Formats: sequence, structure tokens, C-alpha cells
Amino acid sequence: MQMSEVPVFFLHGLAYAGLLFLVSAGLTLVFGMMNVLNFAHAAMYMLGAYFSFTLLQATGRFWLCLLICPLLLFIIGALVERFLLRRVHAYGHLHELLLTFGLAYIITELVKLIWGNFPLATNIGGFLGGTVEIFGMIYPIYRIFIFVCAVVVGLTMAAILYKTRLGIILRAAVNDSEMVNALGFNVPLVFTGVFAFGAALSGLAGVIAGPLLTTYPGMAHEILIDAFVVIVVGGFGSLGGAVVASLLIGELQSFGVLLFPKLSLALVYMLMAAVLIIKPSGLFGEKQ
Amino acid sequence: MTEYLQVQDIHKDFSGLKVLTGVNFAVREKKRHAIIGPNGAGKTTLFNIISGRFRASSGSILFRGQDISAKPAHVLNRQGVSRSFQITNVFQELTVLENIRSGVRSRNGMRYNFFRKPGNHPRISERTEAIAEEVGLKEVMHMPVNALSYGQQRALEIAITLSTEPELILLDEPTAGMTREETSQAIRMIDRVTAGRTLVIIEHDMDVVFSLADTISVLHYGKILVSDTPDLIRNDQRVKDAYLGEE
Amino acid sequence: MISQKKAPYLVIAALFALGILMPFVIKKYHLNMLTEIIVFALYAVSYNLLLGYAGLLSFGHAMFFGMGAFTVAVSLIHIPGLSIWNAVLIALVLTTAVGFITGGFLLRHKGAYFALLTLAFNSLFYAVATKWHKITGGDDGLSITRPDLHLGFTTIKMAALTNFYYVTLVVLGAAIVFCWYFTKTAMGQTVLLMRENEERMKFLGYNTNISRLILFTFTGALAGLAGAFYTLHFQFVSQSAISVDMTTTVLLMTFVGGTGTFWGPILGAFVYIIVQNYLSDITDRWPLFMGLIFILMVLLIPGGLSQIILSIRDLFSGKRRAGKQAAAEEPSS
Repeated sequence: MQMSEVPVFFLHGLAYAGLLFLVSAGLTLVFGMMNVLNFAHAAMYMLGAYFSFTLLQATGRFWLCLLICPLLLFIIGALVERFLLRRVHAYGHLHELLLTFGLAYIITELVKLIWGNFPLATNIGGFLGGTVEIFGMIYPIYRIFIFVCAVVVGLTMAAILYKTRLGIILRAAVNDSEMVNALGFNVPLVFTGVFAFGAALSGLAGVIAGPLLTTYPGMAHEILIDAFVVIVVGGFGSLGGAVVASLLIGELQSFGVLLFPKLSLALVYMLMAAVLIIKPSGLFGEKQ
Repeated sequence: MTEYLQVQDIHKDFSGLKVLTGVNFAVREKKRHAIIGPNGAGKTTLFNIISGRFRASSGSILFRGQDISAKPAHVLNRQGVSRSFQITNVFQELTVLENIRSGVRSRNGMRYNFFRKPGNHPRISERTEAIAEEVGLKEVMHMPVNALSYGQQRALEIAITLSTEPELILLDEPTAGMTREETSQAIRMIDRVTAGRTLVIIEHDMDVVFSLADTISVLHYGKILVSDTPDLIRNDQRVKDAYLGEE
Repeated sequence: MISQKKAPYLVIAALFALGILMPFVIKKYHLNMLTEIIVFALYAVSYNLLLGYAGLLSFGHAMFFGMGAFTVAVSLIHIPGLSIWNAVLIALVLTTAVGFITGGFLLRHKGAYFALLTLAFNSLFYAVATKWHKITGGDDGLSITRPDLHLGFTTIKMAALTNFYYVTLVVLGAAIVFCWYFTKTAMGQTVLLMRENEERMKFLGYNTNISRLILFTFTGALAGLAGAFYTLHFQFVSQSAISVDMTTTVLLMTFVGGTGTFWGPILGAFVYIIVQNYLSDITDRWPLFMGLIFILMVLLIPGGLSQIILSIRDLFSGKRRAGKQAAAEEPSS
């Protein structure tokens, strides 16, 4: 590997880290707050990608996809939480897991039914599809765009969580939802909102991932594992942990493929195993 | 020489919240010791530490001269310590018989056996029935827990605590939520089943305390205010002050 | 009147008798399917010991199924003259060892964490199997021929489906019966305690970590046994045997059949394979159908098919057996 290539791989890592963050941020928030591990999260990511594909084909405008698809996923997420998840809540955590798993399964099958069981190429033309000169080489703008998106979203979330009243309520609900309920806030509504927001975030990630990683039915599983590793490493419920872990894993994947091609697949798992042995609650997680 | 159960300078700190700030008391073998105090004083936390549910932040517990501060709950139980829970903590979907038998067979080395059925073991069946009888649950032995009345569930709670043949019994508010009538019955039952064993009991009901206790410790916001015999406690000014407005 | 105690043994005997008669009554094609059903029945029963009895949701059971499947294939290919028993034995030993080691890591966590970790591990195993295509055959898979069974006084040709069916019936049937017996043993009851109240168990002298590890290793070994026979049945194995899909399949079978009874998963395996067989002729998307049934069950009938059957039976017997029977919805005896 040439020294001059390092920046490229570093940037690749950043792009993937950005994507990972977008996917795992919603997952870790939902888990930290509602103690529900949403297996359907990755399915929503996939729906975002597929909706975007269709919308893009119809209108040719990518920015429209960026706006509308997350909105669609927000609505779907809200409906799922309100009418399905809540129903099963009384049966316990195991049941909630089974429900989200079942949803993921069905969504995947529906996608195969509607769009077919093969990869779809998503092409964005225009400015985002172009390249720019950076560090003395030609680099695709799109990857920089992904990273910028992730940063914007991350900062917005941080701002809401730490600077607004809503944020205080949300953070309190993560710690003690019963107390927040007792204080008069409509906790069920908060949960629906958070879940829906997580879905929207995941959908946005899907829209963005489509052009980068190709749109195909297995994409949910592919990103799911990495996202799960991110939240295990970063700590459940921790947004900061998701940031750090995403960067770690993004760069690990990027350089790993280059430096240890035989092991690259296992590297991420090994990191997870190491974290689990040394600090099971994750880098920034709460001790259980 | 240390006493049978010696609690030495126990502190417990939950992420900044200091629940126990130096608890000291001793219990002599085969005696009955009550711990009283206002809600939130840390009584259940104390039990949790003694029974091995979690560790103290500092201080030590000596049982029969041995330091048990770091021992996990299952090891302590095998050494003869057993505790009950303030909120009934049983095996909901199982029958009364199966509940009690879980402890009995544990005591008799039948925990992980792949080939023997607990029901086919005469000694285990005998002991299980005997304990059910002692707490007054013999008639309802084959009923599931959710079919029992509250009083019966509390009796089951005690039965399970006894099922591992403990020599040190820790009862956490056994009569909580009971009627006058149920409480009188419970006192008689506790008196009967703890005969010959050492008992430490947390209680709010003073009738129970004064009927059963040989000695009493008053736990007041994380510290022991005073430990003495019931008569002296009854007349202690500090205790009266602490309980002003309580009862 | 047949006593309550004797009834189950009679049912088991009847089922075995029925099983023995099958080759004379049904076509080869169906006998083939029946063998497959028995393999998956054991797989599902082992899974339910974790899910229904211990309350542990694992997304990695295919790790053991696949290990068993591959070990048999690899040993038969690389060790000439290896007997069928020894191949299965190697698979069992390896799966038990792997179960014990992975259990040590995975069981440090509970609930969702555990589920998610098993998923990650299963994916890891699948990735390794794919990368190691020199040994595992990669996408092409491995083909084997069943070695003949030498019983000292006679040799049974395993190439014949009927013969292999009988071996499967006896060996896996016995394993399933042992699982049923297991639920009544001390360890089986300990497993129930884990689901009901793991906290309290500790205060009764049970080491819960060891309890879970024992169970996890045991069910892993059983899944490995099922996997071994899977390869022997199809005389072929590919990385799909160790995929997350293979875990998903057993989860579906078990849950749809019903986690509340011992026989639920057996029924689930039966229904799943039959549906798969007939629906897959009609549509490529038959998994969608299974998925919909699954979600419906999760939402409306959490006890699965066995809950439906028991309710119908209660309806007919005029709810004579109320009280204990109705209350004990979870498997407890």
C-alpha cells in the first residue's frame, strides 16, 4: 500500500462510518429508551432504499427522495409502534423481539415480491454524482456527501437532546420512563415518536446507501450486523458511543480490507468479542 | 470472639446515593433479631448485602467467623443462609409443590441431574410435603401460584425460604399487606418454623417485632441508631423521636 | 381407563409403531419428506428447550446444526472407511465442544443482548464457512454417500431410503423421546426455573451461569445431531446449513407449532415442511406466507398451533379440566 493511498481509504472509512452512524443512531436510541431491540430497523433501512429507487426512477430528483422517503418511513414506524408493538408489549420483551423479527422477515419477502430478488442499480446524476479533487486525487463527491449528512444529522440530534426541553424529556425517559410518566408527560406518545424517528433515520440511511452499496434484498442483513456491532461496541443507548464506534468500525472495515484481506470479515467480530470480554456494556454504555 | 452473624461497618453507595452509612450489629446463634426503621432506611439493601445479592461498598459481614462479604448468593445459600423477599418472588407458573421442591432438591444435590426425576425421590417428596404442612399450604400443594390468596402467597414465600434447610433465616417484611388475623397466624407460623434456627427479621408491624424478637436494631437513614432488647428499645427516647409521627 | 401416567408412554409406543408401518403405507416421495421432518423435528425440539422452556431467544442455533452437518460431510470425505456411527459421533463431540465454548461467551448476557450476540456469532460462523471453501465446498457444497451400516451379524445398505428412514426413526426418535423425558428430570425442572425466576434460583443454591451453560451445550449437541442426519439424508451439505436463514427456519417452525407444549415444535416442523413442499410449487414467495402466519401468531395466538389444538380439545371436553390445566399454559410437566 502506498502512503498516498492512505487518505483515500481514510475517506472511504469516513463515508461508511457516516452511514453506520445513521443506521445505528436510531437503533441505539430506541433500545436505550424503550428497551426494544428493533430487528425491523434494518428492514426499514432497506425500504428507504427501495422507495428511493422507485421515486428516483419516477422523478429523477434525488433531493425529493431524501425528503419524502424518510417521511414515509416515519409514518410506517409510527403505525408499527402504535398498532403492533404496543399490542405485544404486555407479553414481554421476548415477544417484542419476535414481533420485530417477524416484521423484518415479512418486509424482506414483500420487497422480493414487489421489486424482485436481484440487485438494482441506483444512479444519481448531477452534482452529487460527480467528483472533486482532494488531497491531490479525484474523489467521488457522493461519499463526502454521506459523511456530511451524518454529521448534520448527528449534530441536530445532539442539539435536540441536550439543548431543548423535548431533549430533556427524552433523556429522562431513557433513564426512568415511569417517572416521566408520573410527571404527566405522555410517555406512549413519546415512544411512538422516538420509534418513528428511528425508522425515519434508518430510512434516510437507506436512501443514501442505495447509490453507494447497491439496492438488493440482502442489504438489510449486511448492514444489520455492522450496526449491531456498533451499538455493542459503543454501548446501548449511547449516542456518543455510536459516533465513536461508527468511526472505529468504518475505518476498520476500510483499512481491514486492504491490510488483512483474509481476516477482514472477522476483524469486526473480533472487535466486538474484545469489547464484550473487557467491557461488556460497551465503551460508553451503562453497566447493566 | 465474634458473634454468629457480625455486620461490621457496612457502607453502600449507589452511584452517589449513600444508602448505608456504617451499619454495625451482631446476632447470636439461635436468637431472633429484628431490624426496624422508617421506609427507605436501607433495610432491604442490608439484606441484599448479607444474602449475597450485591456487595457492600465497604465493611464486612462475618458468618460463623468467616468473611462472607464477597460470596455470591448461591454459595451463601449452600452454606445455610436463606432470605425471603418483601415483594413475593416465587415461580409464578409452577405449583406450590414445585416451588417448594426446587429448594428441597437443591439442598439434596439434585440440581443438574439429567436422569432422575425429583418427583420419584421419597426423601425429597417427604421434605417438600413437610414444609408445605408447616406453613399451612398442604391442602393447596397442587395449585398454581396465581390461584392462591395473598396470604397464601406470602406463606409460600416463607416456605421457599425454608426449603433449603437454612440455619440463618432472613425474613423481609413477611407480614406486609396482611390483615390482623393473617398476621397473628403468621407470627405463630414463623415462631414454629424458625425454632432452633437463627432469625433476622425486617418488620414494620410492632406486634410482630415484640412477639418474636430477642433483640432489635433500629436502622435510621443508613445507620444503626441503637441495638438493644425490646423493653429498652420501647422506652428509648431516640427511637421515640425517630418514630414521631410514624405510629 | 388409561392412567394419566401411562398415557404418554402409550402415545410414544403408538407413534413408533406408526413410524415402522410408514414405508409400507406411503410413497417413496413422502417417506423422503417424513425423514426430513424427523430431522427438523429434533432440531425444533432442541430449539424449544431454549426458547419455550428456558425463555432464551437465540438467533444462532444454526451454528450447531450446521457444524453437525459439515462435520459429518468433512469426516466422511477425508477419513476413508469411516463408519456412519463414528461420523455422527465426531459431529456430536465437536458440536458439544463448540456449544460449551461459545456458550461461555454468549451467555454472559441476557435477553435482547443475548439474541443479538447469537445473531452476530451465527453470521460469523457463516462467513467462516464461506471463506473456508476449500473445506466446506463453498457455494458448491459437499456431496457424500451414506456409508453402509455394519451391525456385526449383518450389513444394512444405507443407500436405500427405507433403511435410512428406519435408522433416522430409531436414532432421532430416541433423541426426541429423551428430550421429553429430560423435561421431567431435575435438570429439566431447573430449566423451567430459569424462565420463571432466574433471580430467585440463586437464592436457592443454584448456580445460574452453570445451569444456562449446561442447557445451551446440551441443546447445541442435539442440534448438531439433527444436522448430522440432515447431511446424511440429503447426502449433500452447503453453507446454507449454517446460515442465519437456517436459524430463522427453526424459529418459525418452533413458534408456529407452539412453544407452550413439548410436541408443538414437532407439529411446527411437520407443517412447515409440508407447506414448503406444496407451496413452493405454486410460488417462489412461499416464505412470505410462513412469515404472515408467524406474525399473526405473535400478535394473536402466542401459543401457536398447539394452543389452537388444545383450545379445541378443551371446547369438546366441555372444559372439564379447568384449574390446573388451564392455568399451566407454559410447559411445566
